[in-house]
Amino acid sequence: MTVTIVDEGTYSEPMHHALDEVILDRLNDGEIGPVLRFWYREGPAVPLGRFQAYEDEVAVDYVDSRSVDVVRRITGGGAMYVEPGDVITYSMYLPREDVPADVEESYEVLDEWVIDGLRAVGLDVAHEPLNDITHPEGKIGGSAQLRSEHAVLHHTTMSYDLDIEAMLSALRIGEEKVSDKAVRSAEKRVAVMREHIDADREEVIESLKETFAETYGGEPGSLDEETIETARRLAQSKFSTDEWNKRL
Amino acid sequence: MEATGSVKVPDGKLVRVTATYEETIETVRITGDFFLEPPEARADLEAAIQGLSADASEGEIAAAVETVDAELIGFGPADLAAATREALE
Repeated sequence: MTVTIVDEGTYSEPMHHALDEVILDRLNDGEIGPVLRFWYREGPAVPLGRFQAYEDEVAVDYVDSRSVDVVRRITGGGAMYVEPGDVITYSMYLPREDVPADVEESYEVLDEWVIDGLRAVGLDVAHEPLNDITHPEGKIGGSAQLRSEHAVLHHTTMSYDLDIEAMLSALRIGEEKVSDKAVRSAEKRVAVMREHIDADREEVIESLKETFAETYGGEPGSLDEETIETARRLAQSKFSTDEWNKRL
Repeated sequence: MEATGSVKVPDGKLVRVTATYEETIETVRITGDFFLEPPEARADLEAAIQGLSADASEGEIAAAVETVDAELIGFGPADLAAATREALE
């Protein structure tokens, strides 16, 4: 298996989610090979879990007034607040036959190269079931998966840095009296890489690409035009619409 | 009546059930940060609970949920039943 490593392309939040769906579909249909894709965002966003209720998770007034893009993922899991330079997000699109059938085991196996890549830059991290990457000080990141007949999407977002006040303003977890106490307890649960290593965000991504290539084999490459064009249409027709994003 | 119940699974996910009911459970909406394969099965889980008596026990609700062909990840039928029961109390 040679995976195309796509470390380029700055897109809107809806476009990233559309790319997830289109690449998974095209791999499932045998039209393209496996891909590892790093995300580069245009602005602050809240990727919402597929099954979450919009109004339960999102501080609507805040995200509307700050133009925070709220987009429902095609994967389950929880909401996050993300800013372009602060998070590292990647998506792996792999043939289903190369992924353990047991879901819990697959999260652990698919996180291994990431744990290795983060340890290589000096971060003391471990996989924590079901879907977390943790540091002794708290959660660094989380993953989510979607399986189709012949392909698996496994994507992960990790905090290189975090504007904790913005996060608590955008997500309703911070609403239960936005006291210093609430901020402190949230800070305790979230760990950010920047506080524990000298490497900058780009160096972390380089390290991840190296351990990925050692584990799975990989060649740097780009997405094909058809994938990008199909995703552009889907970003418009689905991931930019209230019908999808606010369906729950 | 409309009411909501939720369960935070230890080391797992949050499952929230919003139900409307009189003598029977009329509508159910299941939300949360769980995983489900296939994701479309959410509607089947809701349908399995709809139509049950509002007095159904947790065991009866869980049994109805278990008839759905889906993989519940980060939660189980008992959690869904407990959240439903909480909404109905």
